[in-house]
Amino acid sequence: MSQAQIHQHDHENIFLPKRARIVRVEQPTDAERHFTLRLADDTDMAFAPGQILEVGLLGYGEIPIGFASSPTRKKTFDIVVRGVGRVSKAINALKAGDLLQVRGPLGHGFDLAELRGHDVLIVAGGIGLCPTRSLIQYILDRREEFRRFILFYGTREPKLQLFVDDLTKWRGSKEVEYFETVDRSDPTWQGNVGVITTLFPKVKLDADTRVVICGPPVMFRFVIRELDNIGISREHIFVDLERRMKCGLGKCGHCQINDKYCCVDGPVFSYASIGNLEEAI
Amino acid sequence: MKASFLREADFKPWLAELMTTQRVVGPVARRSQFVFADLESADDVRLDYPCTILPPKKVFFPPVQDLVRFDGNKFEGCIKPVPTVLFGVHFYDVKAIDQTDLLFRERNADYNYLAQREATTIVASNIQQISQRAFWDSVGSEVEPKGHDAFLTKVDGGYLLETRTPRGEALLKQGSFRDASAAELDLARKVNQAVMGKCPEKLKASSKDIAWKVRAAFAKEDLWKGLAVDCFSCGSCNTVCPTCYCFDVQDHWNVDQKSGARVRTWDSCLTSEFAQITLATGGAENFRDERGERFRHRFMRKAAYLNSKLGGPACVGCGRCSAACTSDIADPVTVINKILEA
Repeated sequence: MSQAQIHQHDHENIFLPKRARIVRVEQPTDAERHFTLRLADDTDMAFAPGQILEVGLLGYGEIPIGFASSPTRKKTFDIVVRGVGRVSKAINALKAGDLLQVRGPLGHGFDLAELRGHDVLIVAGGIGLCPTRSLIQYILDRREEFRRFILFYGTREPKLQLFVDDLTKWRGSKEVEYFETVDRSDPTWQGNVGVITTLFPKVKLDADTRVVICGPPVMFRFVIRELDNIGISREHIFVDLERRMKCGLGKCGHCQINDKYCCVDGPVFSYASIGNLEEAI
Repeated sequence: MKASFLREADFKPWLAELMTTQRVVGPVARRSQFVFADLESADDVRLDYPCTILPPKKVFFPPVQDLVRFDGNKFEGCIKPVPTVLFGVHFYDVKAIDQTDLLFRERNADYNYLAQREATTIVASNIQQISQRAFWDSVGSEVEPKGHDAFLTKVDGGYLLETRTPRGEALLKQGSFRDASAAELDLARKVNQAVMGKCPEKLKASSKDIAWKVRAAFAKEDLWKGLAVDCFSCGSCNTVCPTCYCFDVQDHWNVDQKSGARVRTWDSCLTSEFAQITLATGGAENFRDERGERFRHRFMRKAAYLNSKLGGPACVGCGRCSAACTSDIADPVTVINKILEA
C-alpha cells in the first residue's frame, strides 16, 4: 500500500502550496483544458496514480484534481480542468509559461499491488478518463507487470472525447483492448452508440479481473451490476469517487461519505470497503 | 497534581497579574448573554456564566482565519501564535477542545490550529449556573476532560486551583496561593459533584447504545425527513457547536487587486451547498441534497461516525445548538430520544 499513500508532510503549514509552471496547454473540448505542469523548483512530483492535487490560483482559490498522467513519466505531470466555476475558469484562462500553485499529492491512489499480475479493466466515463489516464499510462509503461488490459471509455457525444491522440494510439494498440462508446452519435461517429454498459457484451471478462471505475456518480451502480453478473468480487472492484474536497487533508468535512473522508481515505476505494456505506454510490 | 487555595480577595489581583504577562481570554457578560472575549479588566470576568454563545474553540480555530497571504505570485503562511491563557472553561468545553485537538492533529497535523493551541494555557472552572438546555451530565460520561492545565473551583471564601501540568503550575507563581488542605480539596470535589444530575435535559440511553441505535436508524428516511421538516438549513446548530470543525476556504483580494489571502471560515454541513459539486456547465451534483439527509449527517457525526476515533460521542451536551436553532428542532436530547423510541 505504500505507493498508494504518498503524503505531503514537509510543511509546517499544510495549506502552503508549491509553485508549478505551465509547460503546455491544449484545449481538447470547449470546456476542458489539458495542462502539462512542472514544479517551479524543477523537482519531480512524486505521486501514485489515482492520487489528487489541490490546484490553486492565488486570489481565486483551489480545486481538487486527479493526476492525468503517470508518475512513470518524469519531470512533468498533467491535469485536465473543466471550466465550470470561478477557480476552474480562472485557471483555464492561463497560458504556457504562467505559474499556478499546487498542494499534494493527496489522498489514496490505486492499489497497484492488487492490480499487478491480474487482468485489469478500466471503465472511464467522461472526465473520469483523466484520473484513470494516470493508471492507463502506468500500465502501458510497465505492461509486463499486468496481464490482459481492457479499457472502456464512454462520453456523451463524440466531440467531448478527451486525449484524442491517446485514443488514436489505443485504438490500434495491441497493448490494450480498447472499447469506446457515445451516448449520442453525430455524423462523424462510426462506433458504438449507447451508455457505457453496452460495451460489456463486446468482450469476455474473467471473473478474476481487477476493475477500476471512474465517472459520473450515476454510472457506478450500473457498471457494478454488470460486474456482479460476471461474478467479479467486490474486493476486486476499485472506485475512484468525486466529492467536494476543499482541503484535501481530511479536515474540512465537505467530502465526507458517512464516516469516511473521500480526500484521505480515497478518492480510490475498494468497493468492498464502501459498498455498504449508504452515501457512497 | 497539586491543589492550591486562593482567597477571594486575592482572585482578581491574580487575574490582573496574569493579564500583565499574556493575553487572557475569559467569559464576560454581553447584555443578557455571555461570550469568551479578551479580558480588558479582571473585573469583567464572569465565572458564574451558564454557557457562552460561541464555544472557546474560536481561540485556536477562529471563525475567520488567514491561512496563506499573497502578493502577486509571492505567498507565505501566517501562523503566528500568541501566548494566551484561556480562562474559565467548563468541563464540557474542555472535552470538546480535546476532540478538536485530536482531529486537527491526526493524519495531516494542522498547525494553523495547533500552534495557537500549544501556546494556550487552559484554566477550566466549575459550573456555577446550569444552562437551560444543558445535558452534559448524560452524554459521553465515559470520556474524561483532559486538555486543561488547571481546574479552578469556587468554594466558600475563595478558590481551589488544581494544577495538572507544569504550565498550569506556572500560574501559581503569579498569585498569592497557599497549599490547599484535604478538607478544601474535598469541598471542591463536592461542589463539582453537586451539579451532576442537575441538567434540565437527559438522554435516555448510554452513549454506546445511542451510537449503534442512531447508526441503525440511517435508512429510516421518513423519520429524518420528519425531524428536519422545519429546518431552514441555516447552519446555526453547527456554528455554535464546540465540536464542529468543518470549514470552507476562499481567496479574498485586497483593494489593490494584487494582494490578498486564502481564508478559512467556519462552515456548516446543514447548509444546502455543503456537499455540492459542479459538473458540466450549469449542472451540479449534491451528495446531500435533501434537508433530512443533512440533518441526519449531523446526528451521525455527533452520535456515531467519530466515536471509535474519539472514544465517545462528538457531542458534549452544552445545549448551544438547542438554544441557537431558529425552529428549535436541533436539540440532540429530543432528537436522539425520539430515535431511541422509533
